[in-house]
Amino acid sequence: MTTTASAFDVSPELKRDLQRVFTPALGAGILLSIASIVGAIYSPGDFFHSYLMGYLFWLGLTLGCMGILMLQYLTAGAWGIMTRRTLESASRTLPLCALLFIPVAIGMPWLYDWAHPDLVKNIYVLRHRAVYMNPSMYIGRAVLYFVVWGIVMYFLNKWSLEQDEKGGMEKRLAKLSAPGLLIYVFTISYATIDWAESLENNWFSTIWGFLFVAREGLAAFAFVIIVMALLSRREPLASRFKPAHLHDLGKLLLVFVMLWAYFEFSQLVVIWSGNLTDEIPWYLHRFATSWGWLGVMLIVLEFIVPFLMLLSRPLKRNATALCCVVGLIIFMRWVDLMWIVMPQYYQRGFRLTWMNIVVPASIGCLWIAVFVWQLQKRPLLPLLAPNLEKALEHGE
Amino acid sequence: MADLASVIREECNPPMLSRDMSYHDITDQISSVTEWKKTPKQWWILITITSSLLLLLLAMLTYLVSTGIGVWGNNSPAGWAWDITNFVWWIGIGHAGTLISAILFLLRQKWRTAINRAAEAMTIFAVACAAIFPLFHTGRPWRAVYWLFPIPNTYLHMWQNYRSPLEWDVFAVSTYGTVSILFWYTGLIPDLATLRDRSPNGLRKVMYGIFSLGWRGSSTHWKHYEKAYMILAGISTPLVLSVHTIVSFDFAVSVIPGWHTTVFPPYFVGGAIFSGFAMVMTLLLLSRWALHLENIITMRHLEVMNKVILATSMIVGYSYGTEFFIAWYSGDIYERFHFFNRITGPYWWAWWTMCICNVVIPQFFWVKKMRRNIAVMFIISITTNIGMWFERFVIIVLSLHRDFLPSSWGYFRPTWVDVCTYLGTFGLFLTLYLLFVKFLPMIAIGEVKSTLSAQNHVEHVYAHYLETYEGAETKETHGLA
Repeated sequence: MTTTASAFDVSPELKRDLQRVFTPALGAGILLSIASIVGAIYSPGDFFHSYLMGYLFWLGLTLGCMGILMLQYLTAGAWGIMTRRTLESASRTLPLCALLFIPVAIGMPWLYDWAHPDLVKNIYVLRHRAVYMNPSMYIGRAVLYFVVWGIVMYFLNKWSLEQDEKGGMEKRLAKLSAPGLLIYVFTISYATIDWAESLENNWFSTIWGFLFVAREGLAAFAFVIIVMALLSRREPLASRFKPAHLHDLGKLLLVFVMLWAYFEFSQLVVIWSGNLTDEIPWYLHRFATSWGWLGVMLIVLEFIVPFLMLLSRPLKRNATALCCVVGLIIFMRWVDLMWIVMPQYYQRGFRLTWMNIVVPASIGCLWIAVFVWQLQKRPLLPLLAPNLEKALEHGE
Repeated sequence: MADLASVIREECNPPMLSRDMSYHDITDQISSVTEWKKTPKQWWILITITSSLLLLLLAMLTYLVSTGIGVWGNNSPAGWAWDITNFVWWIGIGHAGTLISAILFLLRQKWRTAINRAAEAMTIFAVACAAIFPLFHTGRPWRAVYWLFPIPNTYLHMWQNYRSPLEWDVFAVSTYGTVSILFWYTGLIPDLATLRDRSPNGLRKVMYGIFSLGWRGSSTHWKHYEKAYMILAGISTPLVLSVHTIVSFDFAVSVIPGWHTTVFPPYFVGGAIFSGFAMVMTLLLLSRWALHLENIITMRHLEVMNKVILATSMIVGYSYGTEFFIAWYSGDIYERFHFFNRITGPYWWAWWTMCICNVVIPQFFWVKKMRRNIAVMFIISITTNIGMWFERFVIIVLSLHRDFLPSSWGYFRPTWVDVCTYLGTFGLFLTLYLLFVKFLPMIAIGEVKSTLSAQNHVEHVYAHYLETYEGAETKETHGLA
């Protein structure tokens, strides 16, 4: 089979389709951002809570995709070659995410007890942690995380481009991915302790880092499947991305569903069994009030239903059916983050405001616009990747 | 383009098996080990040593049963000590077999084929060793069936506590043992038939004939076999996670500092794979050297295994670090004391041994030369297993010896019976392994052949690829003409 570089370029029809997504996404992003800013002036607490939730969701996609990008270099599977460009484009939204961190930093007093000196003075555990958990250290660490992620993202994308031009970079990319993946797991663990675990004073869990890796991986994989299904309607992927590829992605999605559920279950069973006053309030806020219904939804709609459906072979090979399951998972990721972030602020029970939807949507529209813009920049398949022939052949 | 071709050939797809091998060579080489005309002297020497250790185990267990479990060093405050450390260590060793045979099969990792059979055998032998400790920890193992399994009885007037992970363990470990044996045996059937067909008439032919279940190698047989193998792989996969997760729950659902921590399930699974791979590596290196299997268990296999060892070492290292950080972050004085006690308390040497063996030493595997150096990988496989034994010792004994009440603090010392029983389990494990090597094909003949077939196919594709870009000459220079 002979292929030329231009064969994998975004086709004019696809370009037109992508443009049809880009412009409305950008427009909606700007309009929703304005609405969010109005909301922020009107009710800053609501705004920042919703913002943190939305931010964790979209940053999770960026970092999750970057993690999976490194994983596919390390494992060198055929599925990785097909999804590489989507993963790369998602990773290149990192500068936007870094910029969008600024409101989180501004919102610290509305988000965290430890950002209030008077509370720190009176609550033992906050006083104990103050040397580590204080506003300047929090921002300092965030800057460090973004710099580290930025460096990894930069080289992953730079060398991949060089791979397209002259080839022979695969080994170097795999060499970067090994420590890169390690750095990702380590940094995301500590970043999410700062950003999400510290929301409640009496909450600490050692599996938190792994749990966020699984949460982000699941969301990212679901997102990649939707994008691949949409891209495969047009050339260059229409003739190359086959049900066998989709099937593989569906199987790996099932793995992420199980991994996520496994980590969540492990945390729940250990905390529930211990029933210690220091730890159990986190679950009491989330299960003993009307928030508990969201918890039940998570078990049913993010684990049981997708798990049972993804066992089906025909479903995994059918783009529309698979995308329905994937859509459900992505929606449940948003519900999960709401369940993680919001009960801290509304301990009496479930509450949904317009900002819970509009603020994450505003971040999302901007994110999608940047993603679609980046997606058009490179051919949709890495021409000189050593396993490309094998990957294409796998679908036949 | 020539650069690209060499990258494809040598780095991204180095051959898994030697290129000049035929199917017949593979059958011959692997079967010949089980067809020794005269069993080598070395094998007899080894089995004499290991069966002596096995006798030691039997003697220790007899002594324990006839005297009482007081002969073990377990006592307040360390009610679990040497015995449960050994249980967790052995059960962990089994995990590599299941991971290699089931998960890597589902992930289509062809390199597993050269090592899966021996690794699966180790799983079964390791589970047998592990089961001894909780069973004899009951003191009256012949009654254990009523204590452990929910068998209705009026004899003991007791019923199991289903909320206890110890009860879950009974089901997890027995399921694990059963599925591992089934999986191993299913994989063996075609190879047993090969041995049957090669055997002269006699007992040997009859025995292989019985156990190969009338296998004729027809396409229907293969079709059913492949389906059964796939289903068993699917069933085994959750077991890789579930068994050690439940073992970790034995500790984590309590409220004891050092035990009650949410990272335990993935941390235990990671550690189990880490130690399991190390043990597989130790025995494979010895078998490879003794039986001259260098062309089948190639450097590529060993290197990939070393990468898995490095990755799982990072998982345990990450878990050690996170436990320390969260102990501090929680503000809980008991948690903080416990972790401080790990480093500076009376058992400081155990903690430092664990860290050096499990986190520091495997870092050598970042360097390719080290990953491909037989001596280095042999040493690291040994230090890893030492480190992983100490990890269980640290978790179990260090968490118990100084609990909430300083008045009940103590210092655990193993008795000679503890030590000898542990040595004895090596006797059981190694004796079974030696018998396995002598009587069964230690490498999956059918699967290695399928790898060779896939390798030939891939090379054919690359040959075509090179010809397209470079012409027939380049193809020739790469030995693919």
